Amino acid sequence: MQDKLMAELMPPDPRRCNYFFLYDGSKVRGEGDLTREGICYFYPEETLLEKQELLCSQFAGVGRCVSELSSSPVQTLRLRHNKFAIRMKDDFLWALGCSVDVPTVSVCELLDQLINLFCFYNGSVRQSYQLNSQETLAARWARYLSYLQSGSSEMCHIFSCLKTIDSTNVDPLLLLKAALILQACQRCPLVLAGCILFRGRVVSTQMSPELTMKVMVHESETYTKGQRLNGPSTSSSFGGAVSSTTVYLTMSELQYLKSAPVDRDSSSHSTPNKNVPPKKTRLSRTLSDTPSTESEPSYPNSSQTPQKTSFSPHLSGSDNSVCSPTASQSATDSLNLSLLSLRPPLSNGKHCHEAEEEALEESCYHSFHNNGDGSSQIHSEEDSSVFEENSHLNGDGDAAGEAVFDFRGTDSGNEQSHGGGGTDQGRKAEMKDPSHLSGAFDDLEQSPLVDVTLYMHRVKGLVLALLVEPHFLSDAASMEEVYHSSLASLNGLEAHLRTISPGAPGAPGPYVFAHFDCIQSTLTTNLSGRPGGAPEHPFVRATSLLHSHFCNTETLQEAIIRSAGAAVYGTRSVAQETYFQQHGGSLRNSGIPNHQDSAFSLPSKARHRLMKHGVNLL
Amino acid sequence: MKCLLIASESAEVLFHWTDLEFQQNIQKQYGASQEEGQRFPAFEDMISTQFAPIIISCSTIVDRQSDSYTSFTTENNHIYVLHQFDECLYIAVNGDGEEKEDDLRRKIYVMKKMIEVRFGMVTLSGALLKRELRPQDTEQRARLWKQLQKLLETYSRLRENDQSFLVEAVERLIHPTLCEQCIEFLERRLVQQLNSSVDRAGEEVLHAFILVHTKLLAFYSSRNASTLATSDLLALIIMAQNMCPSNVDLDDPSPESTSGSGPESFYTPEPSPTDRDSKKPVRESPPLFEFVDPDIQMAEDSLHTLEVSPPDPSAPRRVFLEVHLKDGLYPMMPHSMYCLPLWPGITLVLLTKIPTSAVAMSVYKFLEAFAKLEKRLNEGQSPAAAKSQLTTLDIRGKLDKFIKALGPSELQFGHLQSVWTDFKSRAFTKGGSGFTEDLIPSCKAMKTQLCGVYRHCFFTDSGSADTPRWLSPALQERAQTMVQDKLIDWKDFLLVKSKRNITMVSYPISLVHFICVDRSTGQMIAPSLSITERTTSELGKGPVAQYIKSKVWGLVSTTRRYLQKGYSTVTLRDGDFYFCYFLWFENETGYKLEAGDIPTLPDDSAPIGMLAWDYYRKLLRYYRKNHQGEAVKCYELLTIHLAVIPTDIILQHCRQLATKLWEPSRNPLL
Repeated sequence: MQDKLMAELMPPDPRRCNYFFLYDGSKVRGEGDLTREGICYFYPEETLLEKQELLCSQFAGVGRCVSELSSSPVQTLRLRHNKFAIRMKDDFLWALGCSVDVPTVSVCELLDQLINLFCFYNGSVRQSYQLNSQETLAARWARYLSYLQSGSSEMCHIFSCLKTIDSTNVDPLLLLKAALILQACQRCPLVLAGCILFRGRVVSTQMSPELTMKVMVHESETYTKGQRLNGPSTSSSFGGAVSSTTVYLTMSELQYLKSAPVDRDSSSHSTPNKNVPPKKTRLSRTLSDTPSTESEPSYPNSSQTPQKTSFSPHLSGSDNSVCSPTASQSATDSLNLSLLSLRPPLSNGKHCHEAEEEALEESCYHSFHNNGDGSSQIHSEEDSSVFEENSHLNGDGDAAGEAVFDFRGTDSGNEQSHGGGGTDQGRKAEMKDPSHLSGAFDDLEQSPLVDVTLYMHRVKGLVLALLVEPHFLSDAASMEEVYHSSLASLNGLEAHLRTISPGAPGAPGPYVFAHFDCIQSTLTTNLSGRPGGAPEHPFVRATSLLHSHFCNTETLQEAIIRSAGAAVYGTRSVAQETYFQQHGGSLRNSGIPNHQDSAFSLPSKARHRLMKHGVNLL
Repeated sequence: MKCLLIASESAEVLFHWTDLEFQQNIQKQYGASQEEGQRFPAFEDMISTQFAPIIISCSTIVDRQSDSYTSFTTENNHIYVLHQFDECLYIAVNGDGEEKEDDLRRKIYVMKKMIEVRFGMVTLSGALLKRELRPQDTEQRARLWKQLQKLLETYSRLRENDQSFLVEAVERLIHPTLCEQCIEFLERRLVQQLNSSVDRAGEEVLHAFILVHTKLLAFYSSRNASTLATSDLLALIIMAQNMCPSNVDLDDPSPESTSGSGPESFYTPEPSPTDRDSKKPVRESPPLFEFVDPDIQMAEDSLHTLEVSPPDPSAPRRVFLEVHLKDGLYPMMPHSMYCLPLWPGITLVLLTKIPTSAVAMSVYKFLEAFAKLEKRLNEGQSPAAAKSQLTTLDIRGKLDKFIKALGPSELQFGHLQSVWTDFKSRAFTKGGSGFTEDLIPSCKAMKTQLCGVYRHCFFTDSGSADTPRWLSPALQERAQTMVQDKLIDWKDFLLVKSKRNITMVSYPISLVHFICVDRSTGQMIAPSLSITERTTSELGKGPVAQYIKSKVWGLVSTTRRYLQKGYSTVTLRDGDFYFCYFLWFENETGYKLEAGDIPTLPDDSAPIGMLAWDYYRKLLRYYRKNHQGEAVKCYELLTIHLAVIPTDIILQHCRQLATKLWEPSRNPLL
């Protein structure tokens, strides 16, 4: 944790992105047109203009030629010393260049993230350049790029993961509290979804990882300076703590947010238990974590997680200290609600005010009992396909074994169990499949962008970020309600999060591991942020190779690869990827097949060792 | 949609190969950019126009960014791989998903290898090579390109269907008694008779081998011959397959399985007769070269006089192969290759040393000396250090003698002499530049002239028409008959055996397939996997066999990727299968040596294999550094098991295979 914080303070990793530019071919049509006219933005900005022109003109030329020959836009362009992800759209050409060690999938992902970020805050690119000066927009590209580059380690870059608070050090009740604050805000029908961030890390979110990441950029900006570069309006009645800005969503993003609000992917903090195969859904995980120790002591992961041993006594104690003095009415209410008897569940998409409580209750119920028979009762009235997929998820089937057949099905099942609307079916799967990356991008550019408002309420290092309907700002009553209902809780939450010590960096231990949750886009690792996380680290190198391999081969479930210095085990299921390397021990061997070879005991070692990190590889 | 293009820096097409789909695509694109009513120009002009922006951008990036393109991909998964060898830019394209980037890069390297085997040291001079690859005469050019296209297609077909070309190692026919008999026959009867005949025109048979399809039945090398490198042997097998294609492949009803079947539909068929039943050897016409280019100070005028004579059917192929002698390694030494078909699918190949091969060795030594000198001058070393390059080996004295021995009779030799005189006056006299950067152009000129001499000696028939220049047709026919008589009773057996070389019967049921390769000798063993309508492997035929075949091919390319990054052990659980890959080293007594560090290579490095670039030879040399004085052997094992079998048992199987396969008692040949 210390390392991670340190890393964030350091300048962006120069290794991640060597070049980025946006070139507008429509400005360079005629014979006499200068290449520099078409350069909208070029990073690093200090690059000699001559070199900028060289790269822009050559890439544009080659890009056009190849696109014509293949009747399809260029996606990657590799040189001996740099590899570039390319996007071509309406005369625009984006290129993002990284060192050749970075997996191609990750470079493409980074470029898509960058473009999507720009569109989120500025709307369509063409229009932005018509409305704003090139300098203003250049500053924005620079800001987004620097944000995306400020990942804590090479590992994060490989997976393009979301930065979350280190939940191993955080009382789960605080996470519960955060989730409840968000749920309470949704009582206001104008609130679409929200997330709570602390010092640039996610505490709890109701949005997809992609959307959360986008929102975080604005947060980091307001956090570092009180500047309002993006021109947000500040409501004076709430002091400087509240700000808002217009952001743009794609139709599918908006539909997803507008579908049943409660069933959405509601909390995305990185609890160790997130590694549990999808049978433990992420619906209000904070809630489900809490009772599971008591009601199901035999549950394999939670019962062995170290902090759980001290958890039960902690629960009552911290309950008072956390909730009582500061907790808002709504938070307490929802806790109470959760203990009430079951009421008929809601139909999807319904989000009138009165329905909120029921919905809330359903989610509570669901998370309490999602391993029990109750789930069939809950879903009996829902779409049967949702039920089937859920029951499948909740079943005890080996997720890894089913990867082959259910890659898409299970995945969309996940989405559906939260969103219910089914609009995002298979979206996750597509995100991880490099061939679909451009598809995601296409959606964004082609579908009309809808403007909504990003509302932010800051309490020191803590931020409540909500995506709200645009007229929320003019609706004083709603604003007041949201502000006041959450203020006390936020203060309390902030006070507690602030006092939590960063915690000792994970003991180096005789092994390293990395666990990536593909659904929430979060990474758990005991590899220190830096310098151990540098790309030359054997574990990072192996992980990067294996991750690419997993991305490109849907049927691959597990792999062991060994070089002279390291043997690394990688395994994946629909929802997660896990990498493990055992230190020490003699790797001395002849390389000839031998079942007693230590490399082949990695899978069982990983299963055993990672249990205490809450990673269940069974 | 596939294409392979070689272009000069000025976007001149030096060679192209496309399938029908790509050709139509280019024509469509070109048509779209042209005004209506215009006639289509030659296809090579169209392809040149369409690729010109890429080719020109390549040299711009090299010049101004000191980098070079290695690949492009598009959203619809088309792949472009680019590689620059000296002055030639190779571009390989795939638009149908059948080949990955690595496959395309391999194809480029194989194409370069085949050009080296064919043009030898002329490939060391960019200017000369460009002229060789693109003869001025359009008919000649079409003929040359057609030959190279066929070669490339043969290679692609083998790589897609033949396991030995998948892993790039030679597969032997496992029949110890017959093999032994054949080797003895080649040694005692055939080679002895040929080499003692007066009809051999000064040529000496160095190597003789019998191929059953692509598998080696017997291989004999005479005592004074250097070992034939695996890379060269594989290239020769491709050439033999190209000249005498196995009928099995022609029977294959699925044309998709062979890459680039398209061109046949738009290129005129090869004029050479291919009567399979005839006992007459089937040969291609020898390469004919014309040299007309005013840009290069060469003895063009001397070449104008050369007559383009009709190809002699008994003429051998000139091939340039690596030779290992006591005093060093000589790449690209001239040999004659005689490919004598015995029956469809069974071929006798003879490799002879030609009488003038000593000239090639001298030329190579001089070329090497001037190349090193140029390098030193480029690095800005002191004149004394640079000069030592020529003086320590007494290159000056030797070159003087060499030129004298060649005599001024030929114009080309006269040119060499005048350039050399000029060089000497610049380098050694007081008024000259001395050994400074200014000498570089003279160095280059010397290299070009030396390549020119080499070309003159080995590409053209310099002998007079009435003296025989190679093994007489009668002698060739005798060789053919001798071996036919020897093998007549075995013929049918061999053809079947080559399809069922190893059976899986004696292996555990859970084992689906394996490939074992001895990289020190470049040989492999694997159960047969050929899948055609008529012949079925043990896996049967149809979709299951095809599926497993695709898994084997995929596994090989995956493990190569990991090997390239330094991983010598890989196990994968993929769907219903469990894949293993191991690479290890042993000493000669079979003692397993400790696993060593394997170098990590960049993504665009030469492909891992033995055909185009011998990765394993370099790996062994690298490994031997820590095992001085010990003979080190390198082995690879790939297995595919059913995934339901416990890993422990799979690994035990692998171990048994690894130890037993190369046991002398099991396989006396290896």
